Amino acid sequence: MTKIPSYYQTQIFAENPVSRIYFGFIALTVLLVIFFALDIFSGSIGISPAETLNILTGNSDSPYSAIIMKFRIPKALTAVFAGVALSVSGLQMQTLFRNPMAGPDVLGISSGASLGVAFVILGFSSLIPAGNISGLGNWLLIASACAGAGIVMIVIMLLAIRVRDILTVLILGIMIAGGISSIVIILQYFTSETMLRAYVIWTMGSLGNLTPDQLRILGITITAGLLISLVTLKMLNALLLGETYATSIGVNIRFARGLVFLSTSILAGSITAFCGPIGFIGIAVPHIARMLFRTSNHKVLLPATIITGAIVMLLSDIISQLPGSDKVLPVNSVTSLLGIPVVIWVIVKGRIIKSAV
Amino acid sequence: MINTGWGEKPKSNQYFYTNLVKRQGILLILLLLISFGTSCRRRNNQISIDFPVSGSGVGYASRFTIDVNDSYTRLEIIEPWQGADGVRHVYFLLKEGAILTDSLQSNAIIINVPLKSIVCMSATHVAMISALGMEETIKGVSGIKLIANPSVHNLVKTGLIMEVGYEESLNREAILKMNPDLFMAYGVGSESAGYLAKLGELGIKIMLNAEYLELDPLGKAEWIKVFGALYCLEDKADSIFRAESLRYENVKEIVEASSLPRPKVLLGLPWKDSWYISPGNSYISQLIEDAGGDYLWKESRSQTSMPLSLENVYIKGLNAGFWLNPGSARSLDDIEITDRRLSNLPAFKEGNVYNNTKLLTETGANEYWEKGSTCPGLILKDIALILHPELFPGDTLMYYIKLNRK
Repeated sequence: MTKIPSYYQTQIFAENPVSRIYFGFIALTVLLVIFFALDIFSGSIGISPAETLNILTGNSDSPYSAIIMKFRIPKALTAVFAGVALSVSGLQMQTLFRNPMAGPDVLGISSGASLGVAFVILGFSSLIPAGNISGLGNWLLIASACAGAGIVMIVIMLLAIRVRDILTVLILGIMIAGGISSIVIILQYFTSETMLRAYVIWTMGSLGNLTPDQLRILGITITAGLLISLVTLKMLNALLLGETYATSIGVNIRFARGLVFLSTSILAGSITAFCGPIGFIGIAVPHIARMLFRTSNHKVLLPATIITGAIVMLLSDIISQLPGSDKVLPVNSVTSLLGIPVVIWVIVKGRIIKSAV
Repeated sequence: MINTGWGEKPKSNQYFYTNLVKRQGILLILLLLISFGTSCRRRNNQISIDFPVSGSGVGYASRFTIDVNDSYTRLEIIEPWQGADGVRHVYFLLKEGAILTDSLQSNAIIINVPLKSIVCMSATHVAMISALGMEETIKGVSGIKLIANPSVHNLVKTGLIMEVGYEESLNREAILKMNPDLFMAYGVGSESAGYLAKLGELGIKIMLNAEYLELDPLGKAEWIKVFGALYCLEDKADSIFRAESLRYENVKEIVEASSLPRPKVLLGLPWKDSWYISPGNSYISQLIEDAGGDYLWKESRSQTSMPLSLENVYIKGLNAGFWLNPGSARSLDDIEITDRRLSNLPAFKEGNVYNNTKLLTETGANEYWEKGSTCPGLILKDIALILHPELFPGDTLMYYIKLNRK
């Protein structure tokens, strides 16, 4: 287990020419702006670009202004937050666990959140009738998701402190997630059809349901999580060369683990609480960033992952709105369908899977 | 939760059993006597296979046909679940004393009527049986909490009706022990799916009631004729239905005669990003149309409710003067909690939001759904009263309630 992953090892020292990195970042930033605009300009209602521009510049009071200002812009911002947060968590988890398949959920965040939400939507509904949980507002769901994710995360972190071997932590995380999904299935089994549908829709993820207040809170927590992840940059680079090496150059492994866990919990936890589970972004985006910049240096990878994550999430949202149709697709399915081919490509290429285990 | 008291129930069941055996014994003797007495006539009475296949006796409903004969009734249930293209279930309801030829028995389900015991899976089945005054034949129900009917609740309290659970958590052993004359379910998927197949294998007679799939409100109500046939109360069922259709057509005519402008109507409540919208070919769409409203999605056609994007519904909802059936919302605040942007809709601002929760009980039962199937005229009247109060001066809402601030 202490074997140094050759992929990371070779890549970290083989830095790309600076010009390639600059070019990459400029291109990505342009793409980010384009996709952000596309997400606002397209939607299930056709609003002409000219009118959209008028609304954005405040020169129009058409009924569509509510659609742009209250629906599409908050949704696009949520997409950016979600993409950034999940991708950065995924990057940190992959490095910490030295496993290309690790993602934000390794810490049991989305399974914990799903347990919390399942208790509220499914558990209560079998005790009290659906009519009485009227106004099942956002806040109740967010609070329950936070509580569920928090409890499971604390359990896994306590285990991680006691267990030295990081792979054991990974397996414990998977086992706990499995146990939780069984509990959720029992709750689903006993609930009414309406509540079952409500729960299933929650598991499909949603970006467009945040109030301005919630968006502000999400913005603050994501910024906090990102700041912590900045602190871990050096430690993550050292960890690429193995825990023994990291220790030898003075990295406190437990402290590093704690910081990474904290950052990931804040980032992925708040997104799961506000938007529901959103799959595969956390696993796939760091790989896309690695492919684009051909490096594992976190000083490059972190900003690259941030921008790529935002772009991929915006793209997923545009697709899920099915521009031109009045239907919508669940965003969680879109991210999975976009992310899975990337993950498969990474496995088939074999360059990581060979070396990481 | 599902198994409601194995410990106490068997006693009453056993009593019921011995009673049933006794009664059946007497019945058998009677039957023998009758058959002796009529043995010379019986040959003429035997049923020929060429019966009329037309849907005689059915006017509004599209999911069943009834053909009445001297000694039997042929009941055909058409496409009893969503997407059951071409599926037809044929039942021969055999009155006491009648005997079917073997050739018919092989391809149809034979039910001896009048029913003496039934287990039903939906509150609307209970409502129709209750309308015929046959509550005491109900031996088991599914989801007692969701049944509003007070006489049924009394029978549950006295232990004469048992909760049997639902779908996969159905208490099969209890149902076998009850051995009802008929198990009435509703089809949500293919008949072979899940819990029904097993019961059928064990010899329980199953009927899939497709009343909930009827798109015409009077078509739903007409299903009382099926129950009429099952209980040999055809005349009573017919007169109940006739009275109800008169009531319905009466309200419809008042609205049509007034030729008032039709206000646009929005339905439902979003959940997260999606708003499940009832299509234009739905029961509720028909009610709004007949009540003199203009449903925003009346042109749409779909077999199920359609998940539309929130922004799409919102922009259309800006035209709606009325907003009906907003999910579980009991007040305007509840809607605002669901999504604050919805408070910008004109129907919300003007306070024209009505929900069908006036008679919602503590346990989640709502007479609206039960009356919706037996008395659509009352529901229609409520909606017409909301949309055109000037046509019904002095009347008050029975099932709907105007949502207010808390």
